Amino acid sequence: MSHYPKKGVWTTCPACGRHVHTGQWGPWQQCPYCQHWQRLTATQRIQQLVDPDSFQALPTPERPKNQLGFPGYTKRLAQAATTSGLTEAVVTGTATIATWPVMLIVMDSHFMMGTLNTAVTRRMITALDQAQAQRLPVILVTASGGARMQEGLYALVGMNLVLAAVARLATAQLPLITVLTDPTMGGVSASFAFKGDMVLAEAGAKIGFAGPRVIQQTMPVTLPPDFQTAASLYQQGAVDAVVARPALRDKLTTILAAYQCSGVTPRG
Amino acid sequence: MDERLKRLRAADRLRAPQVINALLPTFVAQHGDRLLGDDAALTAGFGRTAENLGLAVLGIDRGTDLVSRRQKNGGALTVPGYRTALRVLQHAAKFQLPVVSLINMPGADASPISERFNQSQAIADLIAAMGQLTVPNLVVFLGEGHSGGALAFANANRIIMLDDSLFNVASPEAVAAILHGQQTVSEAIDLLPMTAADLHQRGLVDTVIDHRQADLVAVINQRIVTAVSELQALSPVELIAQREAKFQAFLAQWPIN
Repeated sequence: MSHYPKKGVWTTCPACGRHVHTGQWGPWQQCPYCQHWQRLTATQRIQQLVDPDSFQALPTPERPKNQLGFPGYTKRLAQAATTSGLTEAVVTGTATIATWPVMLIVMDSHFMMGTLNTAVTRRMITALDQAQAQRLPVILVTASGGARMQEGLYALVGMNLVLAAVARLATAQLPLITVLTDPTMGGVSASFAFKGDMVLAEAGAKIGFAGPRVIQQTMPVTLPPDFQTAASLYQQGAVDAVVARPALRDKLTTILAAYQCSGVTPRG
Repeated sequence: MDERLKRLRAADRLRAPQVINALLPTFVAQHGDRLLGDDAALTAGFGRTAENLGLAVLGIDRGTDLVSRRQKNGGALTVPGYRTALRVLQHAAKFQLPVVSLINMPGADASPISERFNQSQAIADLIAAMGQLTVPNLVVFLGEGHSGGALAFANANRIIMLDDSLFNVASPEAVAAILHGQQTVSEAIDLLPMTAADLHQRGLVDTVIDHRQADLVAVINQRIVTAVSELQALSPVELIAQREAKFQAFLAQWPIN
């Protein structure tokens, strides 16, 4: 028997580099040494937010495809599916949060950095339209590097199309609550992320359009340590609140209670 | 630099203000977002064509020399630029003026100041407003347009491109960069559909104009007027639906699974 620890038991904290035991990350996936919040998978996120056993996934027949034959994309898709266990970078479904019924759209950065492509666009539009049909408020958790370049303009137009669906939701007077988590960048940041009726940022998240690397390629500039952090965005008035992970469910509950959206039979 | 890109970025390339001058003999410029400032890359305003057609215009150009290129940030719009454009849209809707955008811009502005003023929000607001505009809108690609900024202007009822212009998710340089130098910038142009001919064949682009015509400006303006006249038959609801249907039809070319 090998004396090495079982695979997956110890991981390196991406922020402080210390080795952290699975048990030490705790239920909220926070580094015990530097308090860094580990990026959650969509499954973990949903589990933390919804009432037990209330999540019902929407049918998602969409699968990614290397339709344009972009070099290396097919291989990366296969890797993403293997490492994430997902079929695309977003999970959609209905659930209740403290008994409030909601439509959940949760992006997952573990699948090709959560990039927006044709399949993600389609799943989001289906979920937004379903929310309208069932009169549900929408909670959209973003975690994305932007538009998926390998799908070219087909990915980029997703920004227009999701925003068109968001506009229909608004016409139906249903709230969209966006939760910006690490990372929310590029085409996702510049479309639906900031178009929520309420925009929350998870503590510690990096949120922006062009990231530090791209900016520093353009100009020699020293960026402040809090550049594009949730806290600095809040100070600048870009988001309604910064919410620490353990408080997110309660925060959403309060917002849902304030909107009083109770599903197919609206109250009051 | 790639020959095709050099042409689009050349100092003698046809610029939006030249087209607007010819299009609108009566022209009133609008400046500033009333909050942060003005964007020199943006020519914004409204006026009347020779046929007395009222139009609102948004032109973006990169500048012709070092000084003007610097003033105009090479055509990379800043937050005041997007916000001024948004103001022009609201004004156009109020006075029932169809909106014509003429663009030649690189990708978004990568700078701390644009991040500080949340260009994500500025771009998102412009995309949403273009999509929900109750008057007709169209875009003419005079050169290149990439990324979310260009997409906001292209969220239009009609997309017109000069035959050598480019429209993509990111600049050819950025596409080459994600491939870690395995492909040159020239090769990157052919990796994704971004040329006018390709996008026209795929149905996203409605009209392609040969840029070598002697009377190019007159041809562009005639196409603009024709497109606007066609669109004026549509109601506000139909205009909004047509825009979405146009991009849905493009997306539908991609297999679901």
